[in-house]
Amino acid sequence: MDPRVTADLRYSCEVERPGMLHAAFVRSPHPHARVVAVDTSAVPGDAVVMVPADVAHLGRYGCQVKDQRVLADVARHVGDVVAAVAAPTREAARSAARLVDVAYEQLPAVLDPLDAVARGAPLIHPQAAASARDAVSIDVRPIAGTNVCHRFRIRHGDVARGFADADVVVEEVFRTAAAAHAPMEPHAAVAEWRDGRLVLWSGTQTPFNTRADLAGLFGLPEQDIRVIAPPMGGSFGAKTFVRLEALVACLARRAGRPVKAVLDRGEEFVTLNRHPAVVRVRIGARSGGTLVAKEVDCWADTGAYADCGPGVATKMGYAGVGPYRIPHVRVDSLAVYTNLPPGGAFRGYGATQSVWASERTMDLLAGELGISPLELRRRNVLRDGDTFATGEVMRDVHFEECLQAAADAVGYEADPRGKGLCVLLKGMQTPSRAEIAVERTPVGYVVRSASCEMGQDVRQSIRLMAAQMLGCEPGQVEVPDPDTDRSPFDTRTTSSRSTYMMGRALAEAVRDMGDGERGHGEVRNEGGLDPDTGQGVASTHWHQGAAAAHVSLDLETGRTTVEHLHASVYAGRVVNRPGAELQNEGSMLMGLGTALFEGIEFADGQVTNANLSDYNVPAAGDVPRLTHDLVERDGADVHGLGETALPPVPPAIGNALASLGAHVTELPITPERVLEAL
Amino acid sequence: MGPDSLEEALALRAERGDEATVLAGGTFLGILMNQGFLAPAALLSLGRVVELAGIDVVDGELRLGAMATHRSVEDSDAVRSGWPVLARAFSLVASPRVRNAATVGGVLADADYASDPPAMLAALDARAVLRSPRGDRAVGVGELIQGYYETCIEPDELLVEVRVPAQPERAAYRKFRSRSSEDRPCVAVAAVRGERLRVVVGAVAETPQDFPDLCDGSPDEVAARYAERIEPLSDARGSAAYRRRVIAAEVRRAVEEVSWTRA
Amino acid sequence: MNVELILNGRAATLDVRTDEMLLEALRREGLRSVRETCAIGVCGACTVLLDGEPVSGCLTLAATVAGREVTTVEGLDEADPVLRAFNEAHAFQCGWCTPGFVLTVKAMRPGDDVRAALGGNLCRCGCYVKIEQAVRACAS
Repeated sequence: MDPRVTADLRYSCEVERPGMLHAAFVRSPHPHARVVAVDTSAVPGDAVVMVPADVAHLGRYGCQVKDQRVLADVARHVGDVVAAVAAPTREAARSAARLVDVAYEQLPAVLDPLDAVARGAPLIHPQAAASARDAVSIDVRPIAGTNVCHRFRIRHGDVARGFADADVVVEEVFRTAAAAHAPMEPHAAVAEWRDGRLVLWSGTQTPFNTRADLAGLFGLPEQDIRVIAPPMGGSFGAKTFVRLEALVACLARRAGRPVKAVLDRGEEFVTLNRHPAVVRVRIGARSGGTLVAKEVDCWADTGAYADCGPGVATKMGYAGVGPYRIPHVRVDSLAVYTNLPPGGAFRGYGATQSVWASERTMDLLAGELGISPLELRRRNVLRDGDTFATGEVMRDVHFEECLQAAADAVGYEADPRGKGLCVLLKGMQTPSRAEIAVERTPVGYVVRSASCEMGQDVRQSIRLMAAQMLGCEPGQVEVPDPDTDRSPFDTRTTSSRSTYMMGRALAEAVRDMGDGERGHGEVRNEGGLDPDTGQGVASTHWHQGAAAAHVSLDLETGRTTVEHLHASVYAGRVVNRPGAELQNEGSMLMGLGTALFEGIEFADGQVTNANLSDYNVPAAGDVPRLTHDLVERDGADVHGLGETALPPVPPAIGNALASLGAHVTELPITPERVLEAL
Repeated sequence: MGPDSLEEALALRAERGDEATVLAGGTFLGILMNQGFLAPAALLSLGRVVELAGIDVVDGELRLGAMATHRSVEDSDAVRSGWPVLARAFSLVASPRVRNAATVGGVLADADYASDPPAMLAALDARAVLRSPRGDRAVGVGELIQGYYETCIEPDELLVEVRVPAQPERAAYRKFRSRSSEDRPCVAVAAVRGERLRVVVGAVAETPQDFPDLCDGSPDEVAARYAERIEPLSDARGSAAYRRRVIAAEVRRAVEEVSWTRA
Repeated sequence: MNVELILNGRAATLDVRTDEMLLEALRREGLRSVRETCAIGVCGACTVLLDGEPVSGCLTLAATVAGREVTTVEGLDEADPVLRAFNEAHAFQCGWCTPGFVLTVKAMRPGDDVRAALGGNLCRCGCYVKIEQAVRACAS
């Protein structure tokens, strides 16, 4: 029986080390404030305390921009950690943290990305610090002297000419709220120093990125840092890059003992969220429905620290073009600092916000043209051999098939009233590298992979692929937890890339092993985009999907009922069928939450709904009639599906409501917004 | 302190007053303690006072012990047959797990504005019995609940029982959620048509909104008056302006539900 | 203080603080299926059966379970039909919420509306479709 059913699986928050202390954090109540003084005199003697001066010599860290300190001497968001305590029990640590008295000098705060880019806006990071170090594809392009930490551009064709050629032009502005990943298991990490080496047990999707960033922070060779990644009780992007690890590592060094941190639910809401965004779309078409020009402007609010905001802004930018043939495209996508908690990796990685804008605008355009939204998309959707706005040629794309399957599932053509569609393309981390090792054992094999388990069942997928390649039973394949000392390198477990990349690496490793005892395989996918032109290879293959929604609407209260939700996702080849179904279903439900009720609420930079009653996640009673397809093709590559069915759900619902007269431009589509739109 | 008789519980309450926090089901108190809002110096737990857990009908009047759980109210044959709208209102609270612990007395004493039972009990003209060494007094829900998390319960009193007169046949409870299926209500409406119509709107303001003087007229008229009279609050579930619009719709619907005899 | 109870079918004594919740006391006993998640009783990941009925471990004071029966997933046999149904339907992803669902399903009554019965158990991975399949398989 699966250990997750019998409760025998041990999670990252359950790691215990002999002699360990527990951490608690002192957090800024202000969105922007200088730490003037930290008075720790009331803290009991058996607690270890750490204040900004204790870690100032370490400099800064950050996965794409090195803009974070271990403890903030200037707090840049409500919840920013300004001091830390370690004590023998969690309760003692929390009590001690409450006894730390911090004096602040408040600074002007900026709480919206449009305000942050306006002239005269206070600068949140006056000394911009760009980072080059990391196995990440992104070249960061800050705009000096502003709160823009990265701008991504696509320049394809000549949009002025394109719009001049257009018979119809529509333009609209859309907003998406911040969202909480809300994994059921909170963030957790344990740090222990042994003979000058740092060992970390962390619930993380990015063991090698984390190791690299910490090595830079501590001035250590990477080999002197070990990151072990136990399974997580969910993550969805929350547990990526350096999160708690620097804090526990510094506390552990100070205490001379291991230190563990586990966040409480309220802290989760000020740690890492989904980027709120403003996206403006302008599309021009000929009267027959051929798209000729498109402009997409994105302001991704990356909050107090960049984290992977540059990467998200880039992906948001090109996903906003959509899976269409458009000769003239301009995209400008900005990652903007504000004094909100940082935005970071969130299932969908920027696609959700721009696809909401792009696909809703398509329906507006269809309305202006007098063409069915389905027909407008069919006329323009990318096929094999077409060129995308990045200059890359599409191959193995099935957008039209997914779109048609979704439309058919809800009977769109027979009666489109109350129904809406969305088709999307989303990229996979390019470039990247995955290595894997396989060893024979007396009873089977051990496969070492740094792919981290967070519920997507990647270990079982690896077992299934190994069993098939090696001619054994899946149960004979052991897949230990990722461990940077023992697992070969992998870029990270994000972007729905693991089954595909590890599967290819595994095939190499098995070939390498032959009849021997062990084998090693490495695969890379090469490419990347020029951040100034957006030309190059965004993705060596594309995640493709479509969704359709059938809704009904209570016109007096604005409440939407989803009657039927369908997603068609291109899977290429399904390895782990129950796992794949669950990923589609889970993504669709997360999309439903984003569509109808998920949004972090802020007042003066404070999160006002930092608990699971005031912030709603979908429950059993929210599940509509839910169907989906996993589209396969003989001989096709495995295509990741961990995220694809999330971004198309909100536009499908939004377009369905628009067909009923409620044109909402802001997510979530609350009943109040529907009434305002009617 | 875990007394096992009502007499002992009352004595402890009189002795310690508000210095000992009364613990019923713990679903509200537990939240306050877990969030660090309350660190009670002492707890007076009523969990073992079996005399308080009963559900009885005496002379046609329903008597719910203060420690009767929401689940026992929803499951009770007596309540389902004689007070079906009350069984329904209790059954809509949260989840079975919460209802296994949350109590009749607790939900009234907590005076949480977003709770369901108080509005329904008010519409049914229920009275809460408050007992102290000075004797008993029975107060209506409107007198009991005075503000956010504030009641008229004196430091030497325990809420021991809720008494509900016979339920008229035409009664309805509507719970409008603006977000997930598990959300607390944005607007809740209890409507009862006995000799007169009575409408109580919950979850929209500090206290249940009960205006007998507004209840003559068509469903539309009653609804419009309630929407105008109430000063709704804004919270995660909706703004004041939005609530006004929903109050108008949901009050009208509730009044319509009780305006027709059963087919 | 000492709390004597029947824990997973055996007499047990828990040494607890008077203000301590059952969730913490049970985890200290090594019962890791009961999980600290929301701290406000809405997510169900700390569900335990108290005299056969589900309650939130995070809102139940340990002191109040004296003399009563507490069941966690560790107390279920591998042949348990609910465990088997969840396993066969693959009604889980990360597994964190699974014990709470299993106990809630065990306490369901014939004729209960499935979605209403499960509404208080949150699954962020979004396994509700397969969980409902597992429940229907149990029922039949």
